[in-house]
Amino acid sequence: MSKGKQISYSRALSELEKIVSEIESEETDLDVLSEKVKRAAHLIKFCRARLRSTEEEVKKALSEIEEGTVSEGPQEEESDGY
Amino acid sequence: MEKNSAEKAYFTLFELNTVIKSAISDVFPGACWVAAEIAELKCNQKGHCYLELVEKEDEKTIAQIKATIWAYEYRKLGDKFEKSAGETLKPGMRVLLRVEVTFHEVYGLSLNIRDIDPAYTLGEMARKKREVIDRLRKEGIMGLNKSLPLPLVPQRAAVISSPTAAGYGDFFKQLDNNLYGYKFTHVLFPAVMQGQEAENSIISALSRIRKEKELFDVVVIIRGGGSVIDLNCFDGYEVASHAAKFPLPVITGIGHEKDDTVVDMVAHTKMKTPTAVAEFLISGLRSYEENIMGLRDRVYKEAGRLLRDERYRFDALIHRVSYIPLRISAVHTNRLSAVRSDLESRAVRILAEEEHRTGAIEQAMKHLDPANVLRRGYSITRHKGKVLKNAAVLKKWAVIETKLSSGEVTSIVQDRKETTKSEQRQTDILLPGLE
Repeated sequence: MSKGKQISYSRALSELEKIVSEIESEETDLDVLSEKVKRAAHLIKFCRARLRSTEEEVKKALSEIEEGTVSEGPQEEESDGY
Repeated sequence: MEKNSAEKAYFTLFELNTVIKSAISDVFPGACWVAAEIAELKCNQKGHCYLELVEKEDEKTIAQIKATIWAYEYRKLGDKFEKSAGETLKPGMRVLLRVEVTFHEVYGLSLNIRDIDPAYTLGEMARKKREVIDRLRKEGIMGLNKSLPLPLVPQRAAVISSPTAAGYGDFFKQLDNNLYGYKFTHVLFPAVMQGQEAENSIISALSRIRKEKELFDVVVIIRGGGSVIDLNCFDGYEVASHAAKFPLPVITGIGHEKDDTVVDMVAHTKMKTPTAVAEFLISGLRSYEENIMGLRDRVYKEAGRLLRDERYRFDALIHRVSYIPLRISAVHTNRLSAVRSDLESRAVRILAEEEHRTGAIEQAMKHLDPANVLRRGYSITRHKGKVLKNAAVLKKWAVIETKLSSGEVTSIVQDRKETTKSEQRQTDILLPGLE
């Protein structure tokens, strides 16, 4: 998972940019165009949904961390001041 | 002071202390200014403030003395100092104090603090801060965090704050109630944000986040609401160095009007307040969305243009195709109408010819009508009911009947004469079809 979200955001963006530059620069065949437009619409829908969704996995992982830090705390060197 | 007799060669303790007290007040008749570092500071319930002042050289204490700020002075001096220096008096702070050197017979030597010069402390703090900044620069880590790229979509924030700070509430309310419906994941890593423990507490929170850095896009350090004092903890070398070297972009919203703290300076992005940090994150998502929506518009526009072009081309084709049957039918119509007019004119001609011919025949027929012939003076003669064409068949006294144009005559033959052949032929021509 890790940085998956960022990666998919940036991939979606660069794929969209590619699609735009392709259809803006070349004489696109109509069949290809329809495929590209469909793909662009899909990417945009995906990203916009993502901006509006929480990552349940992260939430879960984080609640585990929260529990974890309580027990891990004393092992940390810097934690004596805390 | 009383001088005893020779056999009494000592002071009582009270006598001694009285002498000391007197000597000190001779040397320090009024107040004087002294620069020192606060090593300890305690206030009791009555509001009196007891301090331990030290002077250090290379971390070694070379001088130490007790000092007191009486309650009635402390309230006034403390407020004044906080307002000017933006800090409360606390251990570790270097101060310039106007003191009366006092000696009490019971409590001993002490400094009675009558005034504090905040400018000195400010200068000292500024000097310390400069030293910290110089050190960070020298170590090359001052711009380290700033050199990290901001995440494309800063959607997951690790938050360092006091859980009860008003600023923390402002932050997540702003974030969670954003206009666009974006969802953020923000997790609090609680820390003490002021006082002695703050620096270590913040460092500890950073270390915990560092272990889970894969789960986050940014670190947010916020503080605020309430007092604007005690920012000293954000000027420490240790905390600034941890923040500078942090692998995720650090965004601060420490909430103060004064000069930036060192943590603000090393942070990737410094915002004024926690609310502003939330807005900054929201704007990050907004800008991403606007970016992709802009691309979407370009896709649709371009696709629309291509489709239109294609349709025009198609329409033009259709137009041309639709003319083909028209043209074909036009050709046929032309040919047809040619044929028709040809036919018509031919028919008219034929009819005219026919009519002409019929007219001629009719004319001829009229001429041949026996009545017409009789009217012109010819007559028909019969013998025994038969039309008489040859006189040779008659005998003398034979009865013949002659039909005239008007009326009939019955006669008796007296004589007869036969005609020549040429005369006969003439008669045939003159009277065709009378048989």
